[in-house]
Amino acid sequence: MEIKAAGLSDVGLKRDGNEDAFAMDDSIGLYIVADGMGGHLAGEVASNVAVQIIQKNINYWIAKNSPEDELFDFPDGTLSRTGNYISSSIKLANRVIYEMSKGYREYKGMGTTIVVLAVMPNSVIAANVGDSRIYLIRDDTIEPLSKEHNLVAEQLEMGLISKEEAEISPLRHILTRNLGFSDIVDADLFEIEPMNDDRFLLCTDGLTDLVSDDEILKIVKNGDDPEHLCHQLVSEANKRGGNDNITVSLIFVNTQDDKRQGIIGKFANFFNKKK
Amino acid sequence: MARVILAFNKKVIKEYPFVKESMAIGRDDRNDIVIDNLAVSSLHARIDKTGDNYIITDLQSTNGTFVNNKQITSHKLQHKDKIIIGKHLLFFAMSKEEQAKVKKEALDKTMILDTSKQKELLAKRADKVVEKEKIGVISFIDGSSEGEIKLGKKLTKIGKAETSEIKLSGLFMPPTAATISRRPNGYAITSAGGRTKVKVNDEVIKESHFLKDFDTIEVGSYKFQFYTIDSGDKK
Repeated sequence: MEIKAAGLSDVGLKRDGNEDAFAMDDSIGLYIVADGMGGHLAGEVASNVAVQIIQKNINYWIAKNSPEDELFDFPDGTLSRTGNYISSSIKLANRVIYEMSKGYREYKGMGTTIVVLAVMPNSVIAANVGDSRIYLIRDDTIEPLSKEHNLVAEQLEMGLISKEEAEISPLRHILTRNLGFSDIVDADLFEIEPMNDDRFLLCTDGLTDLVSDDEILKIVKNGDDPEHLCHQLVSEANKRGGNDNITVSLIFVNTQDDKRQGIIGKFANFFNKKK
Repeated sequence: MARVILAFNKKVIKEYPFVKESMAIGRDDRNDIVIDNLAVSSLHARIDKTGDNYIITDLQSTNGTFVNNKQITSHKLQHKDKIIIGKHLLFFAMSKEEQAKVKKEALDKTMILDTSKQKELLAKRADKVVEKEKIGVISFIDGSSEGEIKLGKKLTKIGKAETSEIKLSGLFMPPTAATISRRPNGYAITSAGGRTKVKVNDEVIKESHFLKDFDTIEVGSYKFQFYTIDSGDKK
């Protein structure tokens, strides 16, 4: 499996500082984006702390192949082992940010969203808390691999408001979950099987508030260099006002050279080697 | 400090200063603002303070909540907003300082709202109208006698491998022939791309396919049916 990835964070045109943070770790296929909130520098602190804690712990647990019951929180039986690493690292980051915000006056009220994507040969795991997003771009379709934790999305899911009402609601920016607000948090996790040519996008609302899903799809399909496409996504958001910090990370997967499975697959691999 | 002024028939009944993080409105004594009238639900609506903003949410009341003559589910209250519940009028007023603050604050600033209580209430009422969370089930039609398998995992692997959630045998069955993943938009089946064909409703799928209730799935010589049932636990 071959991965090409790039990430870009931009302050936008209206904000003084950048409260977003991101990390990429190609060695284990781990990608993280966070959008911090809170006065002065607190938002920046929250997003950076979250990204670092999650990256370090997942790395550590993978290296040690830690059993599920040695993690920060009780294991979730519906998840794979790596899924539990991700879920647990998010809970740990939440606790640290929560304790910091309670312990220091300058950090009061700070918090952050988080999206985490792990790309492995047999599965891709997507996890999120808050309103940052993960998209899967497969063939000519774009679909979410994250759930939005805000008031409007929850009311939409409960069937209390319509999709049209949700799109224009002024309440889209009211989160119902983030890291740092309470001592426990649950992330939404999804696991899928990767296909050849899958593309994944991690991004903050600085992009999605201004650029629609269809427009994102068009840009992501418009070339093969993730770095160049990240620049295109950011400049599109800035062209439309750049109201908020914009962070994007693109991950392109190529599984064409992976070993084929089964008896016939083994034969095929054998003959390929002979050539 | 913001205030809510309760009026009926053009006469002010009572004034409520906003001293807590949230105020409940309804017919029950438990509410902060009690309106004893049959047109008002026992738990009718709630106003929450988030940062410098006030948000009113209708708690699935029978007769609805109106702000400035428009029915609302949730609404960010502005100074001088008129809330109508039953035949009662609630007038929302902010202090001068609060009005200035709200103006200064960018409209798109992200906030967090403690919705746990509100969600409980909404969920209780939403139960009647909204379907509960569904869980997918695969049942064997032929090829095996395994019966029903609940898709409890986020990713279910189908194939010959020991670690598969749905284990199939056969000489040409690959370790993983197909996977079913639970995604934000529903369950999707993905062919692993081997020689073993994966069919949904008699059509070979190349990559991913979102499953609908009572779709038939074929993996090699095995045949299944997919459907969803109500799950007991709700997240």
